[in-house]
Amino acid sequence: MQLLINMGKALLNSSMDDKKECLTGNCPTPIEADVGSIRLSEGSGGREMQELISQIRSKLGAESDWKNTQDDAASIDFAGKKLVFTSDSYVVTPIFFPGGNIGKIAFCGTVNDLAVMGARPLGLSLSFVLEEGFSKKDFFSIVETIGELSKKHGVPIVTGDTKVVEHGSVDKIIINTSGVGSAEIILDEPLEVGDQIIVSGGIGEHGTALLARRFELETLIETDSKPLWDEINSVRGLIRQAKDVTRGGLAAILNEIAEKNGKQFLINEEKIPIEHEVRALTEVLGIELYNLACEGRFVCIASHKNSDEVVQKLKQFNKHACVVGEVLDGKNVIVQTRFGKKVLNMPHGNIVPRIC
Amino acid sequence: MNEYIEKINTLARDMGEVKIMEVCGGHTNTIMRYGIRDILPANIKLISGPGCPVCVTSQYDIDCAIELALGGVKLATYGDMIHVPGTKTSLLDARARGADVKVIYSADQIVGEKDRVFFAVGFETTTPMTATMLKNNIPVFCAHKLIPPAMKILVGEMNIQGFIDPGHVSTIIGSDIWGELNIPVPQVISGFKPEALVRATCILLELIKNKEVKVVNDYPEVVFGKGNLLAKKLIEETMKPVDAEWRGMGVIPGSGLAPRNELLDARIIYKDLFKNIVSREYPGCRCGEIVRGMVEPRECPFFGTVCTPENPQGACMVSESEGACAIAYKYGKSLAE
Repeated sequence: MQLLINMGKALLNSSMDDKKECLTGNCPTPIEADVGSIRLSEGSGGREMQELISQIRSKLGAESDWKNTQDDAASIDFAGKKLVFTSDSYVVTPIFFPGGNIGKIAFCGTVNDLAVMGARPLGLSLSFVLEEGFSKKDFFSIVETIGELSKKHGVPIVTGDTKVVEHGSVDKIIINTSGVGSAEIILDEPLEVGDQIIVSGGIGEHGTALLARRFELETLIETDSKPLWDEINSVRGLIRQAKDVTRGGLAAILNEIAEKNGKQFLINEEKIPIEHEVRALTEVLGIELYNLACEGRFVCIASHKNSDEVVQKLKQFNKHACVVGEVLDGKNVIVQTRFGKKVLNMPHGNIVPRIC
Repeated sequence: MNEYIEKINTLARDMGEVKIMEVCGGHTNTIMRYGIRDILPANIKLISGPGCPVCVTSQYDIDCAIELALGGVKLATYGDMIHVPGTKTSLLDARARGADVKVIYSADQIVGEKDRVFFAVGFETTTPMTATMLKNNIPVFCAHKLIPPAMKILVGEMNIQGFIDPGHVSTIIGSDIWGELNIPVPQVISGFKPEALVRATCILLELIKNKEVKVVNDYPEVVFGKGNLLAKKLIEETMKPVDAEWRGMGVIPGSGLAPRNELLDARIIYKDLFKNIVSREYPGCRCGEIVRGMVEPRECPFFGTVCTPENPQGACMVSESEGACAIAYKYGKSLAE
């Protein structure tokens, strides 16, 4: 069906000669991607992943009392509060990188999905799928990382599961964590024109740390991965919404919030905090820096009145926290560059460095 | 920065239409990302050139690589290459069907795997890596292209009045060679920051106005007169110039490279696999005209409709960092859309 729609669109937009060719039944058949198999790009946090998720939803679709099912975590009224629930699976290459390992992002990612809803994390589950032959030393190093974070941040690991599969069935380790949290109020207040868009710190550092390790480039940049509950807890009475910046980077997250709220975001590029090395690496590799992943940063929206106070509080955790833009009527995320305004699109596909 | 923009405006006032070609896809990326075309006077046209390795690789070469992969030959290539549509399918789909296609970024990722063929694309920038592979006895299907011969053709055909020469290519071949090509228009070798490209445009306009035909190296921090001597020696030892077919430009004499050692030349080793290949580009696709700077991506009827980055029909829609159509799709959305 999509093929027919596409061909129709092509017909409308094509030149007279092409139209003639199409009308005589010779319209070129597009080479369709292999729709029968899952493609890598359908898991990259961009548009294709959104499409896959909506297809999954359409097959499930049972009605329930749960709310926020399109958000980072779902919520339900429970004993006078909101119970918040989320789940995430983690695969990353390499599994050890500057400043952390897969265990750190498995812990922080789930805590953060609860935190951005305004929920205090109560406990996590922890499940492993391990490849036969995977180093026990590496495995327990990952487990210890999770244990240390759990103790330090007071979020216990309360249940879990471990499976071992044949060599070659998975790449070393897959981790799943699910988490339950409780909130007085879900951070889901409608946005208003004039609201300020705030980022909690320098962006793209996690993605840079991974790329640097992958391409054997030396850098002082470490992953930004950390649990965000303390930061969000300090401002949750002052902000309307929050979202952690993960796969797809700032570009994906800003587009998601703008689209969900039916608003336009105007971002001032000069204000976005970016470490010099992050910028340098993206220039060397020819990668769009707004598509780089973070694991310990969030975007929040606050009224103009509250925004200064929010920034001051967040600066206690990260000196780079700042206002980067404003909410307007309309659609799209618009970036004001040094030379003019540009639309910042939702990223698609995997991050691929340039060839030349 | 404003001084350069002001100067461009002043210079442009007494000039007719001026066509400047940025040869390199990386330059196109910066120009589009920062909206530099929008701030230039209407009579100053920056035209994207052929400098995207994925885009200029011929359909036949892509079909050969797919044929190798489907024929059970282990392959390695750069990330963007696996997405390029061949006549019937792509390397990505071949891999989904079980072919062994490894994405690599560095020669040492496959050194030691002597039965894996490297599908080599790119301009002078990436040739040292291929040379390293050949030194390590890794067989290569070589689709490398050399930029200077293509520029000599484009300058006449497209009535280009000035070139922004590719920065990375120049780090390898040096700045001297551009002056030796007898290209009858001025050239500026530029870096990749938006300010650098505005400055390069300004320098070119000044040269055009003064009818000065010379090469200005405005990227001297990394581009030297003789280039990278070590890399050039390595390339000379392992590869020889050959005629090569470009998408949209046909066969350009002396514009390609082939391994000197025929035992490492996959075109020769596997020639029987390529016997029945009949290559055809997607009908109506305007990639061929786009790489020559003849049309803008949006002039193609398939742009953004049947041809998108998720499902590219033409090679220019593949590389987000170098392909004119993918860049236009990413950064060219108008504020009103």
